[in-house]
Amino acid sequence: MSDEKEKLYQERLQRYVTAMRNKKPDRIPIRPFVAEFTAKYAGYTCQEVTHDYRKAFDAACKCAADFDWDAVVPNMVYVWTGLTTAIGLTYYAIPGVHLPADKPFQYLEPPEEQAFMKPEEYDLLVADPTGYLYNVWLPRVSRDVVTPGEPATMRNNLAFVKGGMAMMRYFDAFGEQIARLRRESGTVSALAGILKAPFDIIADKLRGYKGLCMDLYRQPKKVEAACEALAPHLLKVALLTSDPNKQLPVGLWMHRGCMPFLSPQQFERFYWPTLKWIIEDLWRQGIQTLFYAEGEWNPNLKYIAQLPELSIIYHVDRGDIFEVYRTVGEKFCISGGIPNDLLAFGTPDEVREYCKKVIDGVARNGGYIMDASAIMQDDTKVENVRAMTEFTREYGVY
Amino acid sequence: MNEAATSHQVMPIEQISRPPGTCFPWERKKEEFPPIEGDEGLVKQIWEEIDTLGYLYIWQCLLSF
Repeated sequence: MSDEKEKLYQERLQRYVTAMRNKKPDRIPIRPFVAEFTAKYAGYTCQEVTHDYRKAFDAACKCAADFDWDAVVPNMVYVWTGLTTAIGLTYYAIPGVHLPADKPFQYLEPPEEQAFMKPEEYDLLVADPTGYLYNVWLPRVSRDVVTPGEPATMRNNLAFVKGGMAMMRYFDAFGEQIARLRRESGTVSALAGILKAPFDIIADKLRGYKGLCMDLYRQPKKVEAACEALAPHLLKVALLTSDPNKQLPVGLWMHRGCMPFLSPQQFERFYWPTLKWIIEDLWRQGIQTLFYAEGEWNPNLKYIAQLPELSIIYHVDRGDIFEVYRTVGEKFCISGGIPNDLLAFGTPDEVREYCKKVIDGVARNGGYIMDASAIMQDDTKVENVRAMTEFTREYGVY
Repeated sequence: MNEAATSHQVMPIEQISRPPGTCFPWERKKEEFPPIEGDEGLVKQIWEEIDTLGYLYIWQCLLSF
């Protein structure tokens, strides 16, 4: 690694960490969550970056180097469909297979009556979450894995061997990808580790959103018990996958906690208690959470304000970022807030104007990281991302 | 190979309690072994390291893929 790149890396790490600790660095760090945008920029199809993670890694490195960003996720097109195919997972529509090659992958939630977890199975899940996943959930979501007690098949055996080996290869490759970003462009890895809210996991991968909504009325205590049973496991996974140096935050990707999916009353009862418990425990161990508030979360700001100071980096999607700043800006670093529709359909001048408004409104005292509102896909215009980047680099100096 | 090593009973894994981070706790696995003559700590450590991979596999399937 050249001394110049390493110096750049250290400067960027300092800038990024300082902002995440809600302090004022030398300038606003730029850390865009760019997913299929990287494919578009690097000349790949969505199929190529989704099904061949090496191309996704190349695209991420090219964007990081060309745009000179401070930090990036090493591969934001995170779902490697080579791996999901090896396991036989049925819930993805894969570009180039089920979708045109130039369309991003899609998650397919099954119809309510075919939910991966049945409404009467809460007690099974609560009694032994890991056993439930292996013995009940995996055979249902994989076309190859058989239920325990049924005759073993070669497809079953291969699903485990190939799935396990592929997952290990993929995660091992992240180590070299992170080193490559540092070596080639002095870019910092933005996150380490995975976290989801217990309620979201039940909605996304177990009962489905519709089924879970019915359960909120028909068997609310079972839903609460399931969230409580899942929480220690989700905390454990977050800890096992987190940054050992405790500089980078764990990524928390939230889906169904905001309006209109849940009312604030439902949020308070079902979504928030176990998620709050996890975030507080992570922070007690010195680990911040990147609180990716996808959707409109401002009705829940009074709950988020309960979290310990600095415990999260609050990423703003559709909420009013200025209200977020007024409510929790003293406690937490804020990121995002540049609308994706503006980046997709606006002009560079409009993007610069909006970035100025956000910087003037929420970033004057530090504690802000420039990014779009939501993950950028292939509809994002290159010239608008360039405008966001260059304007922030010039105007965002303290 | 001694007799104990060949006649141990294999416990049905479905009946085991699994704390976070664990698929098959060492305390239960140990019951399947004959008396360990060497370094039990080493056997335990390696068992738990690999067991954690099994744990992460299924939870990563759920969370990330």
